[in-house]
Amino acid sequence: MIETSLTPPKPRSGKRIIALALVLAAVAGLSFYTYGRKAAPAAPVRMAYLQNDLHHLPLWVAMDKGFYADEGVDVKIVGVFRSGPEIMTAFGAGALDAAFVGEAPVTLAVARGAARVQVLAQANTEGSALVVSSAWVQGEDKERTVAIPGNGSVQDLLLRKALALSDLAAEKVKTIVLAPPDMLTALQAGQIDGFVAWEPYPSRAQTMGIGRALHTSADIWQGHPCCVLAASDDFVRAHPKEAQGMIRAQERAIRFIAERTDEAVAIAVKHTGMDETVVRNAMGHVTYTSAPSIAGEEEYVRFLGSIGYIKGEDPVALTKRILGSSQDGKAK
Amino acid sequence: MNRLRALCSIAAAVCLWQLVCVLGAGPKAALISPLEVGAALAELCVNGMPPGNLLPLHALYSLGRVLTGVLLAVLLGGPLGLALGASPSARRALSPLVDFLRPVPPLAWIPLAIVWFGIGFGSAVFLIFLGAFFPIVLGTCSGVRGVDPLLVDAVRTLGGGRRDIWLKVLLPGAMPSVLTGIKVGLGIGWMTLVAAEFTGVRQGYGLGYMIMSARDLQRLDLVVAGMVGIGLVGLALECALGCLYKHLLRWQ
Repeated sequence: MIETSLTPPKPRSGKRIIALALVLAAVAGLSFYTYGRKAAPAAPVRMAYLQNDLHHLPLWVAMDKGFYADEGVDVKIVGVFRSGPEIMTAFGAGALDAAFVGEAPVTLAVARGAARVQVLAQANTEGSALVVSSAWVQGEDKERTVAIPGNGSVQDLLLRKALALSDLAAEKVKTIVLAPPDMLTALQAGQIDGFVAWEPYPSRAQTMGIGRALHTSADIWQGHPCCVLAASDDFVRAHPKEAQGMIRAQERAIRFIAERTDEAVAIAVKHTGMDETVVRNAMGHVTYTSAPSIAGEEEYVRFLGSIGYIKGEDPVALTKRILGSSQDGKAK
Repeated sequence: MNRLRALCSIAAAVCLWQLVCVLGAGPKAALISPLEVGAALAELCVNGMPPGNLLPLHALYSLGRVLTGVLLAVLLGGPLGLALGASPSARRALSPLVDFLRPVPPLAWIPLAIVWFGIGFGSAVFLIFLGAFFPIVLGTCSGVRGVDPLLVDAVRTLGGGRRDIWLKVLLPGAMPSVLTGIKVGLGIGWMTLVAAEFTGVRQGYGLGYMIMSARDLQRLDLVVAGMVGIGLVGLALECALGCLYKHLLRWQ
């Protein structure tokens, strides 16, 4: 054996060597092609969303009805978060491919460079409300405390706009930052006079009998941006087909919500554990749409600039960067 | 010499931190360098977060909440710890309740805190109190139980009464553990601060509130600057407690 292995190979003619090289190249090429075709299934899309946020109903519908699977996208929920900034931090750490999240955290993340993300499609517009306690008497000249979920949030801007609608003097309204679930407790305990939050909190306040919607956000700022389906720039670049598939699944889910509302309500109840009455009431205030609100986003960017939360950003350019390819032919 | 060593170790840690950031050992957005934190601290002192709300006032409000919460924990937890340590029957009656409540995180109390104490100072102090209360109770209890019974017997033999046992044996003997409990309680009080100030602060001031506002705006540099602020105030309190230790335990 040893002798055999050490025997020097017979010299081959040039033609044989070329033929062998061609065969090897063909085999290698075929293997590569076959590998590429069969390829181990692509890794699932790492998706996240916000806990109990009814604006994310298109996600739950697309998951439950198999719309993502139909579009050839394997979506795996890897996190349910309590707030948008936490989702942006997860994006920044490379732990997420896509998420349903508010447009505000996306805007701030892109402006700050905290995460490289873009909007694939809108999830909804509107869907918030200024809720006031039962004791709130309009026109009464007294100081009021109104809770918002965060300084510089869309709800902060909604409150500022609502003051003008309600003939309330800004200096008579004191804002306080509270997490939306705590707003209900605080309103019930008489600690605040009102709050601005997204659904389902306004509807829950109404159902609990502790408050009423003085103005829905549709009254305050028609078509204002709210939640979006966002994805990391890296994901969109590496998986453009999956990104497109997710947009199509989103559009199907939104059509489903409009056409088969009862089934959509059942899905929402299943995912939030909330009362059906609350869900129906809340859904009535949310406009599910995949079309991005470009004018709304530009206005929001201008607002953030005016209060000094972002600096030196051109609203049009930043909006274009945030809304990415979602603007193509769908904008309103 | 010890202080010099401590300063050297802090300086070395900061240099290493800056080096890691300069070498780019991770995503830029995730690495906040000491220089950026320094700039953020200056921004917090000049512009504030939210704009207009300056860092010294944030620190002052937080200090007020933490000290009030910890003081209440000392006033209520100290006597309870003494009772648990000195009386087996009190221990049998109350220990299960203490052990039942102790693992409940202060964060879980937020909704009840709002209902009971309203949003603002009351709830924040209550949550900080909860964080500090149990370490103080346990520290005091174990301090009393750790006193050598022979010393108690010696006082009795020498004709001392209950008052003498408490003032000359139990309280001085338990003091090191009591102070350790206060030290731990103070630390946990600061750790509870961010959650406590997220229950709504009416004045718009507090280091925890400031950190949450910066987080909402995804200003990680300001978040880290807020953490540094908490650390510095904590360090100052630690030094103050050290002086108190030396004074109260000078007999040692």
